[in-house]
Amino acid sequence: MSTGELLHEAVDLPPVRRRVREAPAIGLNLTSMIDVVFLLLIYFMVATDFKQAEEVYRLDLPERIEGMSVDPFQLDDEPLRIMVRSTGPGDEEYRIHIDGPWGEVNDFEGLYEFLDSRRLDGMGGGLFAEDHPLIVIPGADTRWSDAVGAFNAAVRAGYLNITFEEISS
Amino acid sequence: MANLTPMIDVTFLLIVFFVVVSQIVDLESVDLELPAPEQPATHLPGEEPRAVVNILPGNEGRSRGYKVAGREYQPTPEGLAGLRDALVLLYQSTPTMRVNLRADRYTDYRWISPVLKVIRQAAGIADVGLEGASLNLVVVREDA
Repeated sequence: MSTGELLHEAVDLPPVRRRVREAPAIGLNLTSMIDVVFLLLIYFMVATDFKQAEEVYRLDLPERIEGMSVDPFQLDDEPLRIMVRSTGPGDEEYRIHIDGPWGEVNDFEGLYEFLDSRRLDGMGGGLFAEDHPLIVIPGADTRWSDAVGAFNAAVRAGYLNITFEEISS
Repeated sequence: MANLTPMIDVTFLLIVFFVVVSQIVDLESVDLELPAPEQPATHLPGEEPRAVVNILPGNEGRSRGYKVAGREYQPTPEGLAGLRDALVLLYQSTPTMRVNLRADRYTDYRWISPVLKVIRQAAGIADVGLEGASLNLVVVREDA
């Protein structure tokens, strides 16, 4: 028996505890990553610009074949020509003229009502079939919004064969 | 001492994300004030393949050029010829594609009409069929 143990017994002290070295706890420090993720979240919340809903009109541009033989007995429908002109800088400053005996209409709503009332309804009423060719003819200085407004009126009225006239160079 | 590894990982991911996304957005569309017709009879764009032709707005109703697939073309006969060649290549690789036409609401039709002509010619050169070019005229719904 050692001198130390004898001393412990003599003074009645608790037995000596042997120190055991514990393995260090292994773990990831996630604090910095969480910081960055929160910064990222705040950035997207602040910087997101809600995009307006974009929609489309469908339009076909068939190729014009020069010198193509045409059936002489085929009667083509005379297209209805709709002229659109911008007359000033304001959104409401435009004029619409329908070629033929129809004359002018006041606005896009008037154009829609004109086209809608003259579309064949299958019950003997109307003048133009839904596939009757319609040509929107914007002037060179017509704003694109006015050209699209006339196109929209024709689409709303249920016509299927609508196109834009190209400006001849 | 702070462990910076995850922060660096996330930061690099973030940089890669922004680089890739900003290129996609830039190629697809340009910031334009699109037409917003009242009571629009429009469709949602379909899932078919498409090319986006942007008509870049200039001053007083002019256009400063055209942009397709990240490349800009001047509004001159040479620029329009370049635009036509680019569209022919796109049509040859994807004959069923639709062309999304995006133009500013204040741009005069004189700058848009040549683009319609070029698209029609490109579809004809690439021989996509009798139906010719299929377009989507892009607008915004302000009531949505």
